[in-house]
Amino acid sequence: MTTDAIIVTGLFKNQKETLAAVEKIQKQGWIVTEVHSPIPSKSLAKALGRKKSKIGWFTLVGGIIGFFAGFSLAVFTATRWNLIVSGKPIVSWIPFFVIAFECTILFAVLGNVVGVLTQVGLPQKDYEKNYDPECSGTLYGIEVASTPENVDSLKDLLYHAGSLKGQRENK
Amino acid sequence: MSQLTFETINTTVLNTLTRPGKIYWCIIALLFAGVIFGASCWAYQIFVGVGVAGMNTPVHWGTYLINFVFWVGIAHSGTLISAILFLFRAGWRNPIARAAETMTVFAVCIAGLFPFIHLGRVWLVFYMLPIPNQRTLWPNFQSPLIFDVIAISTYLTVSSLFWYTGLIPDLAIIRDRSNGVKKKIFKILSLGWSGKTGQWLNYTRAYMLFAGLATPLVISVHSVVSWDFALSVTPGWHTTIFAPYFVAGAIHSGLAMVLTLSIPLRKIFKYESLITINVLENIAKTIVFTGIIVGFAYGTEVFISWYSQNIIEMETFRWRAFGHYAPEYWIMVICNTIIPLLFLFRKCRTNVIWLFTISIFVNIGMWFERFVIIAGSVAHDFLPNAWGHYRPTWVEGGIMLGAFCLFFFLFLLFVKHLPSVSMTEMKELNHKME
Repeated sequence: MTTDAIIVTGLFKNQKETLAAVEKIQKQGWIVTEVHSPIPSKSLAKALGRKKSKIGWFTLVGGIIGFFAGFSLAVFTATRWNLIVSGKPIVSWIPFFVIAFECTILFAVLGNVVGVLTQVGLPQKDYEKNYDPECSGTLYGIEVASTPENVDSLKDLLYHAGSLKGQRENK
Repeated sequence: MSQLTFETINTTVLNTLTRPGKIYWCIIALLFAGVIFGASCWAYQIFVGVGVAGMNTPVHWGTYLINFVFWVGIAHSGTLISAILFLFRAGWRNPIARAAETMTVFAVCIAGLFPFIHLGRVWLVFYMLPIPNQRTLWPNFQSPLIFDVIAISTYLTVSSLFWYTGLIPDLAIIRDRSNGVKKKIFKILSLGWSGKTGQWLNYTRAYMLFAGLATPLVISVHSVVSWDFALSVTPGWHTTIFAPYFVAGAIHSGLAMVLTLSIPLRKIFKYESLITINVLENIAKTIVFTGIIVGFAYGTEVFISWYSQNIIEMETFRWRAFGHYAPEYWIMVICNTIIPLLFLFRKCRTNVIWLFTISIFVNIGMWFERFVIIAGSVAHDFLPNAWGHYRPTWVEGGIMLGAFCLFFFLFLLFVKHLPSVSMTEMKELNHKME
């Protein structure tokens, strides 16, 4: 799509209508660039060809770092002064496992948060671009890219697909 | 549920965020006064010394640690409802998940205050933290008390992040329906959420992973709390059933607190269409289940002490039931195991007055459980000449009152400023049922 492409957004009442409209629009050769929805939808993500989330990798890496960090912290601190307390070994693997476990969860969650920030793309400053505030609450918004000369036929298509209203904005 | 639409869900929840009236602010002021009273009692203890509390030899662990365990327990049910029931796809948890998560965050904050108060010299709290220092002195990571520091701080971090992540789509709804300063605030809080398919795809994955991580965490945290006691050699504490016993008790008390909070919330905010009787009934059924587990644990403790024929253990449990703390023990047994059985009757499960009343009894019973376990065991251990009694002083009572006031103060502030029912999760549930 060229830089002077225009994004037309159609608003739909429910997920069923939205999914049918996306399929109809795509069949006619238009590019659906985005769908905004008030609730998650696997079928919409599939229709738009979204790839599987990579957040799990961030979580896994966080968890592995946490596990070794927890163990290392406990072993490092225990070996600064080699004092035997209550007859237990200086490096006591079983109690140290508790620390490692808690750190695994903590770092995995922090990894998850990093995943959210990077993969979900938050915080997003320019979220208002092509976004209709109705989409957070009740409606589904389908963004379709068009060349300036085809905007009218696209709006007509959206209208016939069940769109409640159309809006246009330069991208 | 089937009559609900996305719009009615939004309207019902957003209507709760309108400007509060005078009664609300009067209650807030009253609770704040309670918080100030509690803080003053703590300040008094700091200036005069920890001797103003009733703790003595042999009972060195008193109300502060009783409240610590109580509030950690309350916190657990929030995670049960928001994470564990989420993984089990129990749709009935959706209307109460937000209130339960919020309860978790505030309860953990309050629980975390009590070890500080118990320390006496609170400015030395950094001794518990693994902070590099010139003497290369570190906390002893073999100690269950240090397990606790790590576990509780992890739990607070995880539950706060989980709560905030769940709020993001709802914050965007408020942002899109407000103006002026409110819009600016919610614009920052919602992080520019716009409900794109890619955002939802990653968000749902992250939420599921949050739930998956919070589930073992919640079990580990109360297990670690139980090891504060079970890893000692004190009769009545040194037992292998403590971890599951504490986890079940925590869920029991937390569910009761969810009922205590949800019933007035439902009435005041006209949430009857969202928090239906069916939801409350399901909580009541779960309370029956956890009550039976807790009752089984009480019975097992007594049985094991008899079966072992260890005279110290046998005396500990005889004394619990018939000794100085017998009233507290029987309050515990009746409130936690007998009274919840009323929920076996459908009439009690479906009547809000019964539900609310029984939930209060369970809350009281669970507080006394912690009293009986903590104070009762060390008061009467091995040597008869070392036996003693413990009664909380007015300072401890004041701090405890302050803690309860702080919890309800924070919760009331929350319900009028942020959505107390997750609009997004309600819409998901509504969509699935259509």
